[in-house]
Amino acid sequence: MKFTVNGKDYALVVESHERLLDVLRNRLGLKGTKEGCSTGDCGICGVLMDGKLVNSCLIFAIQARNKRVETIEGIGTAEKLHPVQRAFMEWNASQCGYCIPAMILAAKNLLDKNPNPTQDQIRRATSGILCRCTGYLKIFEAVQAAAEEMKG
Amino acid sequence: MVDDHAAVEKLARSRQLLVVGKSIQRLDSVDKVLGKPIYTMDIVPENALYLKVVRSSVPHALLKMVEVTEARKYPGVAAVVTAHDIPGINESTALLPDKPLFATGRVRFAGEPIAAIASYDPSVAEEAVDLVKVEYEPLPAVFSPVDAIKPEAPKIHKNGNIAKHMKLRKGNVEEGFKRANLIVERTYKSQFQEPVPLEPEAGFVVPEPDGSVTCVGSIQSPFHVQTGIAKILSLRPDQVRVIQAVTGGAFGPKSDEIPVDVLGMAALVAIKTRKPAALAYTREESMIGHTKRHPFVTTLKAGVDKNGKFTAWETTMLADTGAYASLGPLVVIRACFHATGPYVIPNVKTDAYCVYTNNTMAGSFRGFGGPQAHFAAESLVDEIAKKLGMDPVDFRLLNILRPGSLMATSQVVDEACGLEECISKSVKESDWYRKRKEFANITGTKRRGLGIAIIYHGNSLGPEGNDYAAVHMQIDRDGLVRFRTGLTEYGTGALSGLIQIAAETMHLSVGYFRLEAPDTDFCKDTGPTVASRTITIGGRATQMVAGTLNQKLLEVAAEMLDCAASEVESADAKYYQKSKTQRSVTYHELIEYAYKHRIQLKEAGTFTAPKCEYDPETSQGTTYLQYTYGAVTAEVEVDTETGKVQVERMVAAYDIGKAINPLSLIGQIEGGTVQGLGYAIMEDLVHKDGIVVNPNLADYYIPTSLDIPEIKTIIVEYPGPLGPYGAKAIGEPPIVLPAPAIVNAIDNALGVRLYEIPTLPDRVLAACKRAREAKK
Repeated sequence: MKFTVNGKDYALVVESHERLLDVLRNRLGLKGTKEGCSTGDCGICGVLMDGKLVNSCLIFAIQARNKRVETIEGIGTAEKLHPVQRAFMEWNASQCGYCIPAMILAAKNLLDKNPNPTQDQIRRATSGILCRCTGYLKIFEAVQAAAEEMKG
Repeated sequence: MVDDHAAVEKLARSRQLLVVGKSIQRLDSVDKVLGKPIYTMDIVPENALYLKVVRSSVPHALLKMVEVTEARKYPGVAAVVTAHDIPGINESTALLPDKPLFATGRVRFAGEPIAAIASYDPSVAEEAVDLVKVEYEPLPAVFSPVDAIKPEAPKIHKNGNIAKHMKLRKGNVEEGFKRANLIVERTYKSQFQEPVPLEPEAGFVVPEPDGSVTCVGSIQSPFHVQTGIAKILSLRPDQVRVIQAVTGGAFGPKSDEIPVDVLGMAALVAIKTRKPAALAYTREESMIGHTKRHPFVTTLKAGVDKNGKFTAWETTMLADTGAYASLGPLVVIRACFHATGPYVIPNVKTDAYCVYTNNTMAGSFRGFGGPQAHFAAESLVDEIAKKLGMDPVDFRLLNILRPGSLMATSQVVDEACGLEECISKSVKESDWYRKRKEFANITGTKRRGLGIAIIYHGNSLGPEGNDYAAVHMQIDRDGLVRFRTGLTEYGTGALSGLIQIAAETMHLSVGYFRLEAPDTDFCKDTGPTVASRTITIGGRATQMVAGTLNQKLLEVAAEMLDCAASEVESADAKYYQKSKTQRSVTYHELIEYAYKHRIQLKEAGTFTAPKCEYDPETSQGTTYLQYTYGAVTAEVEVDTETGKVQVERMVAAYDIGKAINPLSLIGQIEGGTVQGLGYAIMEDLVHKDGIVVNPNLADYYIPTSLDIPEIKTIIVEYPGPLGPYGAKAIGEPPIVLPAPAIVNAIDNALGVRLYEIPTLPDRVLAACKRAREAKK
């Protein structure tokens, strides 16, 4: 199958039962996508597929055929952080950090489509991802701050 | 090394703080937002074997047979390990020697490890799990602590079912009750709360050519793992190197025997096959196999005189520790000391029991007995106020601990007690009196209520263990200060706080510092990272070591400036003679000079807190060296038709002594408050005859982004005598008060009290029904 991950084209032979999560982590070495429950309940394996947030533990790799996948590794670098990443750092929105890749992808996806989200819209956009450390409030504030910055 | 805390503190407080008290960014956040491969399962060696665990399917039985031959023969299986493969002692424990790594002869809970299977392909190992034949002969089992203490109950361990009985005796409760005008007695129940660190337990072990092993894992307490693995493998502790990988949440279960289970099983495979071996728990395994919050059955009886002052208080607590004690005995010690809440009570009698059952294990979890104790105490206090016709705040103010008061342990409350200020600030911010009046007039199916609860929380280990921490610091030739400790970071931000303390002590910015990963080969035993003790105890060690290292820098500067060290001052990485500010040397010049002259810029030290002295029979004495205080209000909306409780707004005011990093501190308070909200209204790991019914995140609910109320945090600072700059513990306290505050708010909304948490809709509706029937 062919698909694009973080702007790079890949052609792979995959088993029919292989999960997208395993292909990303084990075959492409993109360890930023985390596994938390394997049953689609915690959301921390979230990646963007054609602009939609999906649980990569519930998606067979073959379902990503000809699709555009974005993972945390494609969002920013240490030299050039994405405004959402910078805001998460500034607002202490990351504690243990394990849910953060999916949270950042969810937030970026929201802001790509809606540059002026209300807090309620931020809550809904991140509601599929569990966080056990922060109590979510600093995440909401970080997303709002990133929205402000992205508007310039 | 000098540790004149009074002098250090005086000096520290005499000048303007440059780093401490500022909301700096955490040092670990950049790797996390970039999604760097930093967690255990991101860095497993390529040629590793993966383990899957065979667990008991019944709660209590004799193990008649464990047959692994077929599993061993299964294509792709590299090894099967059981108790027979243990070269050392078959033990993986926290405190009492009651728990094996692999069950032999008998299983005591459903989910107990019996064997482990290793393969390069984890799915092969999983398939082979079903090929292990286990034959059980069921034994009578017991699933509640109330039943387990009865004489006819089946004995789970040879010394009976009580792992610990903790007593507190102050004054004479019989006399006290005689003087009471009103006596109220109630029983409260609380549930298993599952910690749900988002990263399930994980670890891998690499066998080294010299027979030693290197263990890497998601852990809180590297030195506990080191001694645990050494015992299992029959190695010396120095032959077991333990490195903490970045840890994706912990909350308690990663501090004690659970990481020893994980790494112990992997280590057996590693030494048998001479290959690296990794084990990551599934979510279900984590929820069944690790420790969680003890369910408590607590009976309280308290009396007040005609002026509304307490005369006596009696408590019996039964804590369900499950099949193995874990740290249950210490949990009941803490619960016992905190059983009466932060009130002045002349006569107190408390009996707290840690009881074995055939449920899964309870143990360390943020709060450590405090949540159960305060839920009961703060519910009772609220009910007494109501019976007296008093406002709950006014009644509390009549009885709270203030400087000079005696606690239940007869410890004198010191000046570092901001409880009253916490109460008054949270009352004001919540608009308490006006809203309580307004809510009383609401009719219809959506009722509103406002409740309060207050806390005192003994800091650090106190009577629960030796309270020490070690810190190492070393300055490289390029000026980088390497900071190393065995205390671990698992999300709290506390290690970044230690860097702030070090930076402040050395008058340098945090940019000069680097936090090294905890590694038993490169730091001294630091004890466990638990009990919210990193900033208080680790902070003292940091102050001490950074102070000594800084003194060395001043001495080198003095040599360079040709003056006395006492005359040297530093600011902005420059060192100069006080009287002649035009003469200075830079930090880097100084470091270069030291290297050229072979002056070691390296220090290490251990801070040990003074011992807490108390009578174990009466618990009278000094039980903790410092206390955190707090008050939380909760505003709720309750739907009388569906029973749903929605928490709308909370105000959390804490006396934390000194905020080292206010932003990080608020993060701890918000996160703990939400975890406490989950405990109050939704979280319950349901056991049915010892089997966990909901070991997954679809059926075990934790708060999502849609459940979060507005939380207003108020920081109150009454510097304490123990922590650096007067800082007090804050990791645990925030999880304690949401449950009683919310239960009290529900009572305010409906006029109905719940004696059991979580406040699930069916419980709320049943309580409404009882109230209606009582009215008839």
